Amino acid sequence: MTPLTAEYSAWLADFLPSDYYQRYREYRWDIDLRRAHQRAAFDAGWLQPTWSREHGGRELGLAEAMAIRLEAATRSAPKLPNIAGPGVAAPGIRQFGTAEQIDRLLVPLLRGDEWWALGMSEPEAGSDFAGLRTRAVRDGDIFRVKGRKIWTTQAHLSRWCTLYARTDPDAPKHRGISCLILDLESPGVTIEPIRMASISDETFCEVILDDVEIPVDNLLGPCNGGWQVAMSSLNHERQMIWIMNWVEIQRGLTSVRESRTTHDDYAAGEVFTELGSLLADAEALRATGYRALHNELDGRPSPEADILKLLGSQTLQRVWELAAAAAGPRCIDDTDLLFERQDALAASIYGGTSEIQRNIIAERLLGLPKG
Amino acid sequence: MDVGLNSGQLALRDSVRDVLRTECPAAITRQSMTDPERWRTVWKTVVDLGWTELAVPGAGDDDAFGLLDLTVVLEECGAAIAPIPLLSSVGLAAGALRAAGPAVADVLNDIGSGMVAALAVHPPGHRLPGVPTTLQQGRVQGNAVAVPGLPRAELVVTLASSPDGPVAAVVRVSDGVTVHETECTDPAQPVADVEIDAEPVAIAPVDLESAFARPLVAAAADLLGVAAAALDRSVAHAKTRHQFGKPIGAFQGIKHALADNYVALERARGLTYVAAARLDDPSTSPAAGWTAAALAKAAAAEAAVGCARTAVQVHGALAQTWEHDIHLYLRHAWQGASTLGDSRALYHAVGRRFTGGAA
Repeated sequence: MTPLTAEYSAWLADFLPSDYYQRYREYRWDIDLRRAHQRAAFDAGWLQPTWSREHGGRELGLAEAMAIRLEAATRSAPKLPNIAGPGVAAPGIRQFGTAEQIDRLLVPLLRGDEWWALGMSEPEAGSDFAGLRTRAVRDGDIFRVKGRKIWTTQAHLSRWCTLYARTDPDAPKHRGISCLILDLESPGVTIEPIRMASISDETFCEVILDDVEIPVDNLLGPCNGGWQVAMSSLNHERQMIWIMNWVEIQRGLTSVRESRTTHDDYAAGEVFTELGSLLADAEALRATGYRALHNELDGRPSPEADILKLLGSQTLQRVWELAAAAAGPRCIDDTDLLFERQDALAASIYGGTSEIQRNIIAERLLGLPKG
Repeated sequence: MDVGLNSGQLALRDSVRDVLRTECPAAITRQSMTDPERWRTVWKTVVDLGWTELAVPGAGDDDAFGLLDLTVVLEECGAAIAPIPLLSSVGLAAGALRAAGPAVADVLNDIGSGMVAALAVHPPGHRLPGVPTTLQQGRVQGNAVAVPGLPRAELVVTLASSPDGPVAAVVRVSDGVTVHETECTDPAQPVADVEIDAEPVAIAPVDLESAFARPLVAAAADLLGVAAAALDRSVAHAKTRHQFGKPIGAFQGIKHALADNYVALERARGLTYVAAARLDDPSTSPAAGWTAAALAKAAAAEAAVGCARTAVQVHGALAQTWEHDIHLYLRHAWQGASTLGDSRALYHAVGRRFTGGAA
């Protein structure tokens, strides 16, 4: 362990309640603890390690930052309560925002005082994101927005939304989209939470926009440049997703290991082969994440990064299925395990489905023709 | 965490690739399946270029070649399905000896200058490699099966149990070493069974996990190359073969199968480079080194067999013919996959260790 990761670990140990690991099953749902952790991480510069001190960082290099993230993962640091904020919206604001936008929005976001939702999917635009229909029509120094967003996680708890809307209906579909920063308290915004199939606290919402006025100053990035903002934000998200998957995979592997103490018949060995294969997956994820990072740092292309999302979600799903098998009928009354299995199935859908990931690999990396 | 190739290794890869492209097209591999002497001209080139010197430990300075460098070379030889004993002699036999004491240094030098050795570590009736011989009263005795490269070898490296613990033992292919040539899946890389009852030319105590670790990584590197080459061939075919008015690669049925091949390939590549870097690092424990190596080999075999099987599917009837190259990749992949432990057996061993059971 480097002195830096040691410093981080000591900070985290100091922050966490003394019975955190004994009672992790309860603490993982403790929103107050998770909020307090985000704020403390911001203050200490561990939230966005590569960023400046005022933005929750300490100007670390990418490799150091990844080491910190993996250390946080290994130590089951409390999960950010509103990942869309620091994970996706913040990098977008930092990259594309005006000085005024950054000044007004970034610190409350990073401290967790204001939550963010991502206004991307629509009833008729899921994987085909560029086919979105929400319309924003310029009217002097405002846009008038009409449309409907869905699967908008935590919109009911959020103050802001990065809203993607069509600003040029005549342009090719990728070139007529803009990203607008929507104040969810604006008149004309209706938010309907959608009950989740699992006990997830990352609740979906439907967001209905009925003649909502958004100031032109709230454009994030250039007008009709929303596709680039979205792709860049999702790229940041993808880099986070594999680490998040990796954390959950580690917990799943531990769960399989612990089942051995209660289920001798699994020592007959059938579980071991799949377990070994999953250990390979977990290590391959980490190795590939690092390899992509090193290539990036050396200014070389890093095509291998495109496997992280697909491999991470597949592994996550297999590991929790194995955990269920290893637990035997005990898995039936284990509602935590039920949640893990349900949550794992979401991983091949959010942030770009596995089918889209395969298309990306085949078309962009292998050079196969579009269908 | 050191997980990638540096610019020197990238340059090495390119130069090895260039040499093999000229000296070793797939036609030579096909010829060597029926002509048992065909490999020798390619081997002479490889020895002259100094690739076999990777068998010998570096002088300890920063420029010394490590396992990652050998990995790069073997990966390219696998991609070229080169019909030479570089993997079996330098990767496997010398790899096992590198874990043994200084008493085998002369043998390593011989392998480094091009003498061909083979590694006999498969006891009959076992899926995982083990210790197939015993050392008693100065003689090495026992049987091993499926010894890669043995028909071309002058030396046999094996592992023997002795009252003082396991040893690496080297015997000369001569009196007391009976080679039983068998049919094999990949005749371009012939294997044979062996019966040994001979005085060793060298012995040295060895830690078994360390003895298997480098050979496992070398085998992984070779399979990684096969996987990459088979995938390349599939992609090239899918771009040019038209059906229903478009390239077959435009259909998701093909596209997604090839994307999955790519994931398997990069998964294996990450594990192989990590394992090589771990074994180059003297602070790595034998158990950690073995685990990393076993996972790399298991993943690389899955990638190679997966990519080769998909290549058969993508090429359709063409792949069923002798004159098309795809069966060469498939044969090489299948044979390599069951050498030094098939993927399931290796995963099983690693999974069992992880839960606290003995390996």
